[in-house]
Amino acid sequence: MNNLKNIIFKELRELFRDKKSLAMMLIAPLLIPAIIFGMSAIFESTANKSVSEYNKIGFNYELSDVEKAIAKELQIEVVEKSEEELKLDYENGDIYLYVLKNGNNYEFNGDNTQNTNYAIGLANTFYSTYKNYLQADYLVQNNINPDDIVNIITVSENISEKDNFMISYITSYGFLFVIMAITMAAIYPATDAIAGEKERGTLETLLTFPIRNKDIIIGKFLSVSCAAAFTGIIGFIFMNASLYFANGMFDIYKEVTITLSMGTIIYSVIAIIAYSLLISGLAISIASKTKSYKEAQSALTPLSFLAIFPGMITFLANIETTTLLSAIPFINITLLFGDCVKGNFNWLNIGIMFVSTIIFIAIVLKVIIKQYKSEKVLF
Amino acid sequence: MLVVDNVKKKFVKIDKNKKKTEFYADNGISFKAEDGMVLGILGPNGAGKTTLLRMVGGILEPTSGTINFDGKNYEKDEIEIKKNIAYLSGNTKIYNSISCYELLKMCGNIYGVDKNKIENKIKEISAKLKMDEFLHNRIGRLSTGQTQKVNIARCLIHDPQYYILDEATSGLDIISSQIILDFIKEEKARGKTILYSTHYMEEAENICDYVIMINKGIIVKSGTPDEIKRATNTTNLRDSFFSVLGGASNE
Repeated sequence: MNNLKNIIFKELRELFRDKKSLAMMLIAPLLIPAIIFGMSAIFESTANKSVSEYNKIGFNYELSDVEKAIAKELQIEVVEKSEEELKLDYENGDIYLYVLKNGNNYEFNGDNTQNTNYAIGLANTFYSTYKNYLQADYLVQNNINPDDIVNIITVSENISEKDNFMISYITSYGFLFVIMAITMAAIYPATDAIAGEKERGTLETLLTFPIRNKDIIIGKFLSVSCAAAFTGIIGFIFMNASLYFANGMFDIYKEVTITLSMGTIIYSVIAIIAYSLLISGLAISIASKTKSYKEAQSALTPLSFLAIFPGMITFLANIETTTLLSAIPFINITLLFGDCVKGNFNWLNIGIMFVSTIIFIAIVLKVIIKQYKSEKVLF
Repeated sequence: MLVVDNVKKKFVKIDKNKKKTEFYADNGISFKAEDGMVLGILGPNGAGKTTLLRMVGGILEPTSGTINFDGKNYEKDEIEIKKNIAYLSGNTKIYNSISCYELLKMCGNIYGVDKNKIENKIKEISAKLKMDEFLHNRIGRLSTGQTQKVNIARCLIHDPQYYILDEATSGLDIISSQIILDFIKEEKARGKTILYSTHYMEEAENICDYVIMINKGIIVKSGTPDEIKRATNTTNLRDSFFSVLGGASNE
């Protein structure tokens, strides 16, 4: 136990004194505020796009007075021209959409660009309003009260705060960056602690010390895990601080509560620790099979992609946590991060996730400890 | 007393065509080293000296044969044996990012030196090896000679009975080499057992009580320097070495 402590102190001291390791531990967390502010700004510009940016719509027919009144109401800038002229105007960027009338059919024309899509939305509202007017007018002419038909059902919205998809999207990306930060913070120190130690020639010195191989490996594993968890927690703090400040800066956060509950904090810290342990175990395992620093870096690069992939899938595909999925390493932890975003807490799933992670790490470490008895480690 | 009996070490070499070939780096080495003895291990490059010392130092496991330190072996008493050994090779590297003081304190803790005595022990060693002026400097900023002093200090911190020195003076200038040679003489005088491999025959002749010459993994000659010189009818160990081995490197 004493030697395990000595190894952990030695590794942590080396790690925190190495500028490259420190940079790796801090770069990704420092990017998180930039990501959150950047995404908030993009979402806000999308959500609050000015109508003047997409309201020039061309028509190949003369609009009726009613249509003109609706267009005015919707702030549509009407351009009436022939089909050929409208096509040319659209290509020159003078209009964002043009409508071709053929009998009772109105055809929208344009490319799949952002402004055209917004203009389509506006045109849909325009024709929907016009259609409602025509239907109501027809009913009046046939002595039927339009309200009896048109308002036969009513629809209202009651969307709760947590269902704000933009905030959920931004938070999910925040957590993805926390995962990336932890991965980077584990991979570099693992490379240095295993392949770096071999390349610098200090591994031979270490093996002459009266320390069991088990203590060397577990000591290195725990120190790399500490570095990764430290980075993860810094990333988590940065993420929440950024969300707090973004809340005051961007309108998309209006009426949304960003304050974290104690449950979310505990849940997130558990997920960060579990993920740090898992990724550190894997990184040390892969690094121990390499003979040089360069070889370790090449071998560990795919791990950084592999680590982010399950997170992308679970966040973007909105997969729900189940007892079975909680037992599958990697997927279970990314699901847990997803649950943190949603605020769904299931302590049974956390327990299963932690046990499966510990079993997985124990198997990985046992294999490495066995390897350290072989000269393949040294040469 | 250290007893090495019929120790063999097999390696597998993989060539460019990924064909595996087995070979013995050491093939049945036996010797005894008593307390207060400096035992020299001589041989050309690739003879098996480093592999032998790595096995004796507990870094590598022998394929067969036994290594006993005062009746104890690595299988049962690895930690206890290692606590009584100091291993220093010409290639031994130490941690650049920590200071000499931190290294010595860490080694003291690892070797189980009484916590109350570590500070005094560091002061004593630092004074003896004239390390006071750079004791708190990081090892990465030290000169080669200063680094070698730190390496010696690291070996002395737990006052071991056995020293394993593998080409410890290799690549060092005359002053740094002398630090190591003086250290060997002092420790021998204190009754310590020293295994010393070297390419420098004059060094071996001056400080070794007993010499084994190894070539291609086997002992080709052994005895005191005088015995070897007599047996090979030469006047110095260098000529004896060429007489026994013929001057060919195994690399």
